[in-house]
Amino acid sequence: MTLSSSQFMSMPLKGNLEEYFNIFIFMAVAFGISLFLVLLSFWRGPKRPDAEKLSAYECGFEAFSDARLKFDVRFYLVAILFIIFDLEIAFLFPWAVSLKSIGLFGFFSMLLFLGTLGIGFVYEWRKGALEWE
Amino acid sequence: METLAVLVVFLPLLGAILSSVLDHRSSQAVTCGLMALAAIFASILFVKVGLQEKTLLIPLFTWIHVEFFEVSWGLQVDSLSLVMMAVLTLISFLVHVYSVGYMKGDRSIPRFMAYLSLFTFFMLTLVTAPNFLQMFFGWEGVGLCSYLLIGYWYDRESANAAAMKAFLVNRVGDIGFVLGVLTIFVLFGTVDFLSVFELVEDYKDETFTFFGGHYHALTLATLFFFVGAMGKSAQIGLHTWLPDAMEAPTPVSALIHAATMVTAGVFLVVRISPLLEYAPLAREFITLIGAVTALMAATIACVQNDIKRIIAYSTCSQLGYMFMAAGLSGYSASMLHLTTHAFFKALLFLSAGSVIHAMSDEYNIQKMGGIWKYVPLTYVLMWIGSLALAGIPFFSGFYSKDMILEVDWVSNLPVGKVAFVFGISAAVLTAFYAWRLLLLTFQGAPRADEAVMSHIHESPLIMLIPLMVLGAGSLFSGYVLYDLFVGESTSFWGTALFVLPENEVIGAAHHVETWVKWSPILATLVGIGLAYYLYVFAKSWPERLSIAFSTVYTFLLRKWCFDEIYDWIFVRPSLKLAKVLWKEGDQKMIDGLGPNGVAALSVAGGRLLCRFQTGYVYHYAFAMIIGLVLMIGCYFWL
Amino acid sequence: MGGAYLPDLTLVLPEGILVVTAFLILMTGVFRKSTNPQVQQRFGHVALSGLIVALGALIFYHHPAERWISFEGQLLQDDFVYLGKILILSGSAAVVGISLASMLKEHLLSFEYCALILLATVGMLLMVGANDFLSLFMGLEIQSLSLYVLVALKRDQTIASEAALKYFVLGALATCFYLYGASLMYGFSGSTNFEAIATIIRMESAGNFPLSLFMSLIFIMASFSFKISAVPFHMWTPDVYQGSPTPITAFIAATPKIAAMLVFLRLMLEPFMTLYDEWQSLVAFLSLFSMVLGAFAALRQTDLKRLLAYSAIGQMGYMLLGVVAGTDEGIQAVLIYLTLYLVMIIGTFACLLCLRGKGSYGVQNIEDLAGISTLHPKVSFALAIFMFSLAGIPPLGGFFAKLYIFKAALSAGFFGLAIAGALASVVAAYYYLKIVKVMYFDDAPKVPSASYGQIVVLPLKMALILNACALVTLLFFVFPNPILEIVQRAAFTFSG
Repeated sequence: MTLSSSQFMSMPLKGNLEEYFNIFIFMAVAFGISLFLVLLSFWRGPKRPDAEKLSAYECGFEAFSDARLKFDVRFYLVAILFIIFDLEIAFLFPWAVSLKSIGLFGFFSMLLFLGTLGIGFVYEWRKGALEWE
Repeated sequence: METLAVLVVFLPLLGAILSSVLDHRSSQAVTCGLMALAAIFASILFVKVGLQEKTLLIPLFTWIHVEFFEVSWGLQVDSLSLVMMAVLTLISFLVHVYSVGYMKGDRSIPRFMAYLSLFTFFMLTLVTAPNFLQMFFGWEGVGLCSYLLIGYWYDRESANAAAMKAFLVNRVGDIGFVLGVLTIFVLFGTVDFLSVFELVEDYKDETFTFFGGHYHALTLATLFFFVGAMGKSAQIGLHTWLPDAMEAPTPVSALIHAATMVTAGVFLVVRISPLLEYAPLAREFITLIGAVTALMAATIACVQNDIKRIIAYSTCSQLGYMFMAAGLSGYSASMLHLTTHAFFKALLFLSAGSVIHAMSDEYNIQKMGGIWKYVPLTYVLMWIGSLALAGIPFFSGFYSKDMILEVDWVSNLPVGKVAFVFGISAAVLTAFYAWRLLLLTFQGAPRADEAVMSHIHESPLIMLIPLMVLGAGSLFSGYVLYDLFVGESTSFWGTALFVLPENEVIGAAHHVETWVKWSPILATLVGIGLAYYLYVFAKSWPERLSIAFSTVYTFLLRKWCFDEIYDWIFVRPSLKLAKVLWKEGDQKMIDGLGPNGVAALSVAGGRLLCRFQTGYVYHYAFAMIIGLVLMIGCYFWL
Repeated sequence: MGGAYLPDLTLVLPEGILVVTAFLILMTGVFRKSTNPQVQQRFGHVALSGLIVALGALIFYHHPAERWISFEGQLLQDDFVYLGKILILSGSAAVVGISLASMLKEHLLSFEYCALILLATVGMLLMVGANDFLSLFMGLEIQSLSLYVLVALKRDQTIASEAALKYFVLGALATCFYLYGASLMYGFSGSTNFEAIATIIRMESAGNFPLSLFMSLIFIMASFSFKISAVPFHMWTPDVYQGSPTPITAFIAATPKIAAMLVFLRLMLEPFMTLYDEWQSLVAFLSLFSMVLGAFAALRQTDLKRLLAYSAIGQMGYMLLGVVAGTDEGIQAVLIYLTLYLVMIIGTFACLLCLRGKGSYGVQNIEDLAGISTLHPKVSFALAIFMFSLAGIPPLGGFFAKLYIFKAALSAGFFGLAIAGALASVVAAYYYLKIVKVMYFDDAPKVPSASYGQIVVLPLKMALILNACALVTLLFFVFPNPILEIVQRAAFTFSG
């Protein structure tokens, strides 16, 4: 099927996508309002910068250097490991709620999933990924 | 008998194949043995079939079959092909044996023997062919072998050049042959000899019309064939390759460039006698060419110094004689001369080879002399050969040459008398150069240096025995075959030759005036006397003559300037044209735009494409997204 | 969804075997903590036997000419999938077979490598066996993530980690394309199941397809074009091929391409078959660009692996030509091409792994091959065979592969594409033949260094695989039937 550009522009959104129109409006309004607020404060807000204000915020004490600096890859590692197990929990909640209806197969599926994650956990443990030093 | 005929043709092929896988000793033994068998079988065939005046037609298998057009492989064994087969196998056998001695110490003897045997095979298919197409197969095959053998010593530049020259000049003739076959096919719808010859009387007045002219079909066809014959048999115009072909080893010169292959043209003309009989114009042309060639080659032979070239020009000249006779319907006389010539010319060449062998590869007769004491047997055999060549009574050449000259005299074609005069003049010159060769080579004071003279020795027995057999042939073949071939009451040829009653010359040739009978002998004696006078009694004369008539001398020494003229007319312009086509046409236009241009473009394209491969991951991602957008766009707007 | 529901687990038996083997290797390896090469090699052999056992299980439990569905329509196995799984399992096994020795020499062989190869293979098996956009995504990700790690195996080397990073970032982008396309498809059809989607699309009237359907089609096509490295989604290929250690390159070049191509074929021919008129011109362009770029961009490469990357792009273009045809003949041609391509590429890499260049891993530059024919006549002869075959010179296998493709394209009426393909293959022949020329006609360097040009090892496994590949390539034209039969049955899945 081929369409000219004018046809494309005038074509109504069709099919099941129509049902998403509300969400689209919601997103557009949300985006519009937040944009408006940011711009408003940028435009109307008082601006009196000094060195202290322009330096990076660092938990209350003096900034050592620029904020955009390299940091230890170990933070990254911990973050990634955290995410994995965080997501695991995210799976566990719906599973626990619907355990009655998914039966034994559902139960063992989750056990398999947990087992697999466990193997990964054992691997990273033995590899020393959890050691800070 | 059929089996025998097949064996005669295919034994040499077997020899060639075997020889190409054997070492040099066994290849010599195998090829010689098989050739001996073939020679014996051919003689049996000659006696059992030829002398009984029978004809064998042996179909082998179908080659081409297109609706009504059929060409088969086969053997046509009649008296004409039998004469050729017998002579060919015998001389080929002798040359094989001679080569064992002559080629001793060469690096690639099996190759040489294989070529020789292969040549014999092709020549046999040529002479036994039952149709024009198979004949052409043999014709090209012998050309190929000739090329291979001329260029046998491929590390010599001159040999390669000579081989190429022979091949190229023969192509000109071959085109004539092909056109002839095509004309025959167009005219008759078949290329079988028997069918064509049966139909020929019905078609004798056919004409072809093109470019507004009417041409007598048979004259056209036979002239085409004769162009082919001129190439193969080195007649004037297409003869330039033959002297150069002497670069080949001497046994090859004897077998191919004297006794057999070069006579294929004569054989062809004789074979198509039924066509020629209805084409008087073509016959006159053939006679004229033959006569001119005979005289021209003889004049050149008188001043040459290379022993093999002298004999080569002599071959050219003798072939001219054969065409003279064939053109005047004296086919059997032509065949007789072909046979005797095969013997004495092979003898001359092989003897010359023996001399060259003795003189440590010296070819120049001016540097020989006085060696007859050291090589007595070769000397005697050379004498026999020269006597036969000159046509001294009771030697073989006498019978055939006399017959030809008598045919010239009695023919009712106007060119007959011209041919006679040319023939007599050539006979004088023939005797002169033959004796000049003898005297300069063997007699007088030695002109070679000490080292060479101390090495002179008679050739080994394995070379001398073939020489003696050929010597016997040169002595007796004329006498033995005279009555059989051209006797007044012979019926040997049967249907193989065809002569219209009004063209009959052989019978009449036996009854010519006495002075005509004696004039060839007289001419010969004059020639011999002249040679003796100039080279024994007045030794300073040849040089003085050459200075006095320096123009004529140079003209002859340069072989009538054929090579120079051809070089000027054909070779240089075509080289120049080729250079233009090569540099401008091929290199600049075709290569430049074609292969090289496209290749350069491809490389440039490759370079361009590689430039996109920047190595930056965001460029890659960008390319992907652009690709996606393009796909979407492509989808909507295409 | 009753509690008694239990899917037919024999369908995933090969995958199960591989997963268990991988976990076993992982656990044993991590607890033994040994760097002893002997031990590492044992892991390699375990992985190899796991692959072979899985192959056995696959063949043993296969139901010929049947559409075998399990996991509520998530996975299926028919003759087409069966062929794909056989190719993947045997291809992976062969790659492991040719890699172990040189991995060991390069101190790259670790139990992680073995486990990751197995897991990547599991991912590929799931991909080709998927009957649903969700299970397909799962397979795709298992495979991709394993590959990203494999590429980075030599992580202390800049070029390798750069390659891995590029592969990862761009792969993630491709995954996004896929997810976006798949969710649009779900939005359109309300289902992720291939059959259901096919039915729903079929019910739409032609010429009135909604926009979301096209978007979904294009995004999914784009993501798989990335996987099979079709132009313009090919940019990662040369960098990743070059950056990875040669054994890993061999793996990436061989099986994942096969899996992605099979999935591409399945998607186009099953859920999207109704849209043939819509996608054929797009695939035609992908094919054309791939063939041309594969031919031209490789002309000036000096790095062997980069050259092979462009070669792969070109070869994928030819396969896409068969997809464009869309006919039964075309599918067969693609499958034959895939099979022979797998054989040729594994053979090529086996040769490269046998020979050793100046660099640290394998032969790196084309010049390293100079005059190698005198040192290793057999290996160079084999490599020459593969190069001739890739160039499409009769009577080798590669020629017939191209022949079938062109035949299919011609009989489907794509004359222009077929001609362009033939021309591109002429250009491409240059660089394949150049390798042969360098091997046979260039002089070896004057002073070969101690390690230069030496065979690392030619153990039994290597020799066996190399000979098998060479024989298949050489003798395909004599005994094409075993391959042709299985391919015909596989193609019958769609037409039947």
